[in-house]
This record gives sequence, C-alpha cells and structure tokens, in this order.
Amino acid sequence: MSSTDKVEQTITLVSNDNIPTPVALKVAERSMLIKNMLEDIGESAIESPIPIPNVNDQVLKKVLEWCEHHKDDPATAADDDSDSRKKTTDIEEWDQKFMQVDQEMLFEIILASNYLDIKPLLDVGCKTVANMIKGKSPEEIRKTFNITNDFTPEEEEQIRRENEWAEDR
Amino acid sequence: MRGPVPRMATINTAAAPYRASPDPEGDSQSSSSNSPARQDYEESDFYTGNNDSQSSIGVPTFQDMAVSREACESPANRLPPEVLITILSKLSTPLDLLNSMSVSKTWARNSVDLLWHRPACTNWNRHGFICRTLSSPNPYFAYRDFIKRLNLATLADTVNDGSIIPLSVCTRVERLTLTNCKGITDNGLIGLLTDSSRLLALDISGDKQITAASMLVLADNCPRLQGLNISSCVKISNESMIAVAENCRYIKRLKLNECKQLEDSAIIAFAQNCRNILEIDLQHCQTIRDLPVTELLANGLTLRELRLANCDLITDAAFLNLPLNQTYEHLRILDLTSCARLTDKAIEMIIQVAPRLRNLVFAKCKNLTDTAVNAISKLGKNLHYLHLGHCGQITDDAVIKLVASCNRIRYIDLGCCTHLTDRSVTKLASLPKLRRIGLVKCSQITDASVYALAQSRARAHEQNVRSGDRFAHSVSCLERVHLSYCTNLTLDSILILLNNCLKLTHLSLTGVVAFLRPDLEPYCRDAPEEFTEHQRNVFCVFSGVGVTGLRRHLNSLPNALGDVDDDQTMTGMMGAAALNAADEEDGDADADGDEELEDGDNTG
Repeated sequence: MSSTDKVEQTITLVSNDNIPTPVALKVAERSMLIKNMLEDIGESAIESPIPIPNVNDQVLKKVLEWCEHHKDDPATAADDDSDSRKKTTDIEEWDQKFMQVDQEMLFEIILASNYLDIKPLLDVGCKTVANMIKGKSPEEIRKTFNITNDFTPEEEEQIRRENEWAEDR
Repeated sequence: MRGPVPRMATINTAAAPYRASPDPEGDSQSSSSNSPARQDYEESDFYTGNNDSQSSIGVPTFQDMAVSREACESPANRLPPEVLITILSKLSTPLDLLNSMSVSKTWARNSVDLLWHRPACTNWNRHGFICRTLSSPNPYFAYRDFIKRLNLATLADTVNDGSIIPLSVCTRVERLTLTNCKGITDNGLIGLLTDSSRLLALDISGDKQITAASMLVLADNCPRLQGLNISSCVKISNESMIAVAENCRYIKRLKLNECKQLEDSAIIAFAQNCRNILEIDLQHCQTIRDLPVTELLANGLTLRELRLANCDLITDAAFLNLPLNQTYEHLRILDLTSCARLTDKAIEMIIQVAPRLRNLVFAKCKNLTDTAVNAISKLGKNLHYLHLGHCGQITDDAVIKLVASCNRIRYIDLGCCTHLTDRSVTKLASLPKLRRIGLVKCSQITDASVYALAQSRARAHEQNVRSGDRFAHSVSCLERVHLSYCTNLTLDSILILLNNCLKLTHLSLTGVVAFLRPDLEPYCRDAPEEFTEHQRNVFCVFSGVGVTGLRRHLNSLPNALGDVDDDQTMTGMMGAAALNAADEEDGDADADGDEELEDGDNTG
C-alpha cells in the first residue's frame, strides 16, 4: 500500500461498549497492536470493523485524539529512551494539557495505551503519574491514589530502617 | 475477525515494562534484570524465604490486586505490575522510591529492586546504612540480590578492604566499579568477585595494589565478563591475564592502559581467545611489539576500536603482516599516537584493509609524509576525525587533496604542521561539518585563514543571514578553534570569527602578540597551576562564557564592528578594511620567549 493510500484509508474500531469509531489508518497505526495485526492479516481485514475489547468508547476517543495529534511524530527507536524516560518532568506542553483529566481517566488512558501498545502515550501517562508521586510522603501518596496501607506499623518501620540510606542527602 | 484475537493477547504482555537503568551497551547477556519474567522470578524467589507476608507469596498479577474488592478499587490499584513498575521507574531520587515503597506491599514489591538496583554508595553515611542492611540477619527483602551495580568511585580516596567486605554478600552484581580505590587489596576484591558469576563489567583502574591473585579468582568465577579495565594495575602479572583471556571469552571491552608489565603473550591470548572484542586500549603498554597488534586485527573480526598510543615499539610490520585477503569492515577508531616508527607504508596498508575507519590519530608519527595523507584521503566520507599533530612533513598539497575527498571531517588537528599555509586552512574552512580545528604553531598562517574560517560558514547560509537579523541565522558549526602561536594573527580577523561563529566555545590564542592585552584578561581562563610565570604571561585561552565576554568586549571597542554595517560583518574581508584602527600597541607582550613553550596549547 502506498503512503498516499494510508493517509486516505479509514478503518473502523469498535469499543467494548459496541460503539464504532472511524479513524484514519495512519492514526490508528500509532497503536503497534493494530499495526501488527493489520500487517499479519492483510488488507482484507481493513474492510471489517476491528473490535477493541478492553477499551470503552470514551477512553478510545481520548486515545485516538492523542494519536491524531501525534500521527506525524517520527518513529522512535524502541530502546532509544534510556535517558529520556528517567526525567519525569519533561512532558511536552500539548501532552501535559491532554493529561489534565480526572484520575480515573488518566489510569484508563494508561491501561489502554498499554493494551494497544502505544509506547509514547504510555510513557507520557506514566510520567504524569510519577510527577504526582514525586516529593510526597507515603501517606500523601496513599491519599492521592486511594491506596490502603496493608503494612503493620512494625513492617513499615522495618522497611524505613532498612532503606535509611535513601533518606540521606 | 478470527485471526487477530489471540495475537492481541500476546502483544499485551510483549508490550510490557521496560526496566530502569537498561544496560547502556545493550548486551544480551545482561538483559536478565531487564525482563519482566526474570523480575517475577526474583520476586517469588525472595518471598518464599519470608514468613511475615503470606498474601504476598507468588507473582503479583492483575487478579491478585483487583479480584476481591474490584467494585470499590481505586484505579491506581488496578494497574498491572508492569505498568506500576514503568511508573515507578520514572522516579529519579532514592527518596521518592523509598516513599513509594512504604505505600503498600504491592508498591513495595515493585519499587524495591528499582531502589536497590544501583544503591548509591556516594558518601560514608549511606555506605554505612547500606552495609548495615546487607548484614541484617532477617531483612524484610533479600536486598542483596537486587544489587546489580556497585560503584565506589566517589569514595575512592578512602575505601579500603574493610569497607568493601560487607558488600561481598552481593552475588548478583553485574557491574562493579572501583575506579582509583587505591586502598583496596586482593583481600577485599577477592571477596567481591567470588561467586559473582553474573559479573559483566569490572573497573579496577588505578587500584595499584591488586595482583594476579584477584585476576585468577576473576578467571574462575566470572565467565560472563564482557568489560575489564585494569589500567595502571601494574602488579597484575602477565600469566594471570592469560588465565583471564582463556576463561573470560566473552570479553568485548578491554582497557589495559599503563600496564607496562604485560607482554606480547597476554595480548595474543586475548586476541586468540576473545573473538568478540569490540574495543581494546593498550595505551602506554610499552613492551608490546608487532605480533599482538597483527593478531588482534586478524582475529578480531568485530574489532571496532584499537588504541595503541605510545606503544612505541610497534613498526610497520604489525600492519604489513596482516593477511592480504581480509578486510576489517568494523574497525572505526585507530589511535597510533607516538608510534613514531611507523612510516607511510603502514598507513597505506591500514587504509587498504580498513576502509571504514572514522577516527584516526597519528599524532607524533613523525615519519609520515604527504603519501600517508593521500592514503588517508581514500577513506572519503567515512573519515570524521583526524589528528596529525606534529606530523611536520605534511604540506598544503596533501591537505587540499584530503579536504577534496573527505568532506565529512568534523575534527581535525594539524598542530605543529609548520609547512602549512593559508592555502590549507582556506580549503579546510570549506568543510561543511567542521566543528573543531587545531592549528597550534602553524605559524605561517595569517588573518586570511581566520577570515576563511569565519566567512565560508557564513557564505553557506548567506540567504538565511540576509533575510534575518544580524546573527540569528548564522549556523556555523565551529565550536573549538586552536590558534595558539599563530603569531601573525590580529584582532580584526578574530573578531569576525567570533561574530560569525556563534557556537564557538573555545578559542586559544596563547602566544599571539596581538592578544596579550590587559583588557582581554578578564575573559581569559586561568593558566594551569603548573605553568611558569613566563607561560602565564603568554597564556591566552577563552572558553565558555569567556568567549561570549570576549565577543562583547571586542564589539564594544571604538572603531570595532559597531561602525560596520551588517553585510560587512558577515562577509569578513570587507569589514577588515574598516577595522585597522583596532591595531593597538601590545607593549607588555613578551614575544621573544615563545620557543620555550613546546606545547603551549596543552590545556585546551
């Protein structure tokens, strides 16, 4: 298939709540899951709707919004992120705004990008969460994400003691 | 759509987590700690020995985390472990990781090895806490098994055997860095090496007390070793290195600088046993003769980098004896600094058998003539870096021919090539990617050379420059320019260079009379401490903010570029006529002592 075809070609994705969404092939192929699948089964499949069983319509639309905006990004080398992914603060402005959603949606985007294999989006999502963790005490982190502390006080104290070096500045 | 469904399921796991601190060399051998499967295994491995946390036994899964309280579970609790690990791996400070570890058991499981992967033994306080935990009889986690990297280089001055023995309980270390830990002896190092069968890289450079005893333990215990640096470990015997070569056959990177005790037989053993060598550095292994060099090249079909600086016994035969039917397509970097016996014949052979060389250093190979440079020209666009400093026989003709065929040169040093004139530099200035040029003591060159360096860059982007404001679009690549002892140079040309080359970060003009002026001193770097008073007087090197300051200062002088319109600025030569007024008196310059400074630019 030539590249001009790809720009024009549209496929239909169906969310798990059964809502079909037409999307440009080029945009949908930001998902390596979809890209590989289409390569495996060939062009015939492009005609029929593709079910995305783990993602609901609201989240799928949001993910596709990101794919649309980033459809012309250069392909990044798979393992070329050794340094960049350690810096949690540098998220480009558009992505920062894109990630200003409620926590439920944030984690849904992360789960969907993990499932659909959209590494750059997964990366942005994980950076966003990491930025929410930075500088917080354990109790603040629990509150932020509504996590139950299942340690006994003794266990918590033991972990603190055994990892004291990490508190030394 | 029948086909793709199972495919989707598999991809879901394949898309899983990348881990913190991937091996920068991308070695497949070390990827054990990078794979999620491995990680799970390691988790369950230590949990079986831990009695206080029944619910944590086994591999955490999506179900584990979400099944019971699904309905009311917060979204953070539904994350599969590989996603949680990806999030946690983006935390850069140990404290953030420790706080995450204290959140819950699930978070602890997924943070602990990120925190302990490379514990920061960066001060004695931390080192003490880490050793205390490692010595604890009943720790919450088996921390010792998470440690993959140990680096004591920041404590080097005070480390001794007593401070590394507590660390010897770690047997899964992959990278051990003990650079310049002079206090360490075999007693300490042997403990660390024993049973460390996963060790991939060992750096004991500068640990001068280490002997053969440690190397024999290394040979016996660390079969996966890929990188070894024993630079300056002069007590390590030749025989023990033969044992290392015979047992550690996966070695890829080897640094043996200053090991004058090593003989040909050890290097030959590496050449014959370790066929995957990518890089070997034998700088100052001064007993090495021709045969090991021939063997390294002939056997090391993946050899990428060969450094033989100051191995001054090497002769042409090292290269002339190479098998004629073989080429070394992987060889990119060759350093033969001060291999002063080499002649043009060796260079011709090298270029013939290694056509993809990128970096070549022949500094102080004083026998080389234009014939060698003509051979080097055959590398064409592959050549990026060339050092021919002190190859004093080279002439303009060879340099002009070199530039004509090797237009991707980024770095060139022709210091002390005293025959060279403005003809060479004018041609060199046309190299589109040139970043660094060394012309120290090329005393025949004049302002015309500097104008060429400034101007040709501007010309390439003339349209940009004309359409924009004065400097914004000038994209000269030149970053470092070394012009010390080019005694004909004047302020005029240097100012044009400064104004046209905005990426300039280093400019050396030591010993150039026109620059020995008190008003420039604030921008000049301090002379190195070991310099004599006379050397200090002629020292003139600008770098970083000094370059910016010098540019601003020279532009602010009356009759400087302020009076010249933009077009002239960018086209150099025209501006020069208007600048003659800047020709001031350098009364305090001490020009007649220059010959005392053999290598006045040695700090830049």
